[in-house]
Amino acid sequence: MASGRNQKSSRPIRVLLAKPAIDGHDRGVYVLARAFRDAGMEVIYPGLLPTPEEMVRIAIDEDVDVIAISLLNGSHMTIFKKVMELLKKNHAEGIAVVGGGIIPAGDKPMLEKMGVSGNYGPGTPMSDIIDHIKKRARESRSKKW
Amino acid sequence: MKALADGLKRGDRGCIARCISIAEDEPEAFSKLIKGIYDPNRIPRVIGITGPPGCGKSSLIAQLAPIIASHGNKLGIIAIDASSPFSGGSFLGNRIRMEETVSSSNIFMRSIATRGAKGGLAASIMSALITLSCAGFDTVIVESVGAGQADVDILDIASTILLVLAPGLGDEIQAMKAGTMEIADIFVINKSDLEGAYQAKRAITAYLSTLSGPQSKMIANTSCTKKEGIKDLAGMIEKHEKSINTKSFIERAFSMEVNRIAKELLSRRVDGLLARNPHAMSNMLKGRVDPYSAAVKLLDTEKKHGK
Ligand SMILES: Nc1nc2c(ncn2[C@@H]2O[C@H](COP(=O)(O)OP(=O)(O)O)[C@@H](O)[C@H]2O)c(=O)[nH]1
Ligand SMILES: [Mg+2]
Repeated sequence: MASGRNQKSSRPIRVLLAKPAIDGHDRGVYVLARAFRDAGMEVIYPGLLPTPEEMVRIAIDEDVDVIAISLLNGSHMTIFKKVMELLKKNHAEGIAVVGGGIIPAGDKPMLEKMGVSGNYGPGTPMSDIIDHIKKRARESRSKKW
Repeated sequence: MKALADGLKRGDRGCIARCISIAEDEPEAFSKLIKGIYDPNRIPRVIGITGPPGCGKSSLIAQLAPIIASHGNKLGIIAIDASSPFSGGSFLGNRIRMEETVSSSNIFMRSIATRGAKGGLAASIMSALITLSCAGFDTVIVESVGAGQADVDILDIASTILLVLAPGLGDEIQAMKAGTMEIADIFVINKSDLEGAYQAKRAITAYLSTLSGPQSKMIANTSCTKKEGIKDLAGMIEKHEKSINTKSFIERAFSMEVNRIAKELLSRRVDGLLARNPHAMSNMLKGRVDPYSAAVKLLDTEKKHGK
C-alpha cells in the first residue's frame, strides 16, 4: 500500500453488530463498534436492533464471519433461538453467533448448546471479547467456500 | 467453485455475497470463477452518489432506490466506507439509513470498505459490479466515501453522478470546485427543508455560469425528512441516462480496471527488488550507478529472468 504499512494479507474479519440502541445506552454500541474497528475488523452496524429475520439476511448479504448480538432486556432466549434456526434454514450455519449483554448465568449453558458462545456480561474486558470473536471468525471461515 | 458460479447465476444471495468477498480477497480466484459466466454487455449501469459526509447520501439512496426499482430495474446498492489506515478495520454504517428500505423492498445491498484505496471507492468495485451482472442486476447505486477533492474515481464507473450537498456548506462548495464539482451530472441540494437551501442553489448556479461550453448539468432540491423532490430527482437521473452512450462507460471502466490491476501486479514485482539484488546497492554506494539507472536495470534483468 502507498502508506508503506504492512498490510495484512488476510481478509479483515467481518462482523455484524446487532445491539439495541436504547436512550442512554446507545453509546455502548459505538464503544463496541470502535473497539472492533480498532482491532482491524469491518463492522457492519445496521442501526436499531434488527429482527432475527433481518439479522440473518444482513449477515448473509454482507458475508460476515460473525454475528455479535448484545441484548439487555431478557429477550435473549427467543431471539438467539430464532437466529440459529434461520441461519440453518438458509444454509448459513457457518456464520458464528456470539452473545453478550445481560444474560442470567442459568441461561448460558442453554445458549452454548444452541451454538451461541461468549455470552459476556457487562464489565468483561474488551480484549476478551475481541479475542473470542477472532477465534470464532477463524472457525467460521474454515467452513466457507 | 462450480456450485458457487451456478448459485450466482441463479441469483442466490449467499452466493452473490460470497463472490463479492472472493473478489475482494482473492482476485485470481475471482477471475477463474467468472470465466464463462460473465457477459461484458450486461455490466450494470452505475448511478454514483458522492458528496461530503453527513449531507444525506445514504438517506437519499433509501428513498431513491424504491422509485428506480419500480421502473423495472433489477437494482443493487453498494455503499463504500473508509477503512482505518491504522488498524485496517472499518465502521460500515450506511445501512443505518438504508436498512428499512432494503428490508421492505428486498433490494440487495452490500457494504464495502476502501481497504486502503484512495479515490473514494474500493479496489474490488468493478469485480463487485461484474458479480452483480452475473446475477442479473442491471442497475447499481454506488455510494462513494466522498470526503473531498480526491474522491473522483466514481467517474470511472458511473454513467450518472450525483453530487449531494446540503445548505450551509458554502465553504465546502468553494473548496470542492477543483475536483468533485466537475464530475457531477446532477447537483443535489439535500436538506432543502433547512435554511440556506436557496443560497446553496445560487452558489451552484453561479459556479455553473463560470463554466464554458454548453451545460447539461442539472440541479435538484430534495428533502429526505419531508420526502420532497425525490421523484423529480429520479426523473433527472433517467433523463441523463437517456442522453448518454452507456457503452463508452464500460470501456472507461475496463481501462481503469486493467490499469489498476497491472499496477498492482507490477508493484508486487517491485516489492523486495533491492533485497533480491544486493549487488545493486553496493554499486550505488560505490558510485558506479545512480538510483534511476539502477532501477531501470533491475527491472530489465528481472524481466529477462522471468521474475
Ligand atoms: N433536515 C434534514 N436532515 C437530513 C436529510 N437527509 C438526511 N438528513 C440527516 O442527515 C444525517 C446524515 O445522513 P446520511 O444519509 O447518513 O448522510 P451521508 O453521510 O451523506 O450518507 C442524518 O442524521 C440524517 O437523518 C434532510 O433532507 N433534511
Ligand atoms: Mg452514508
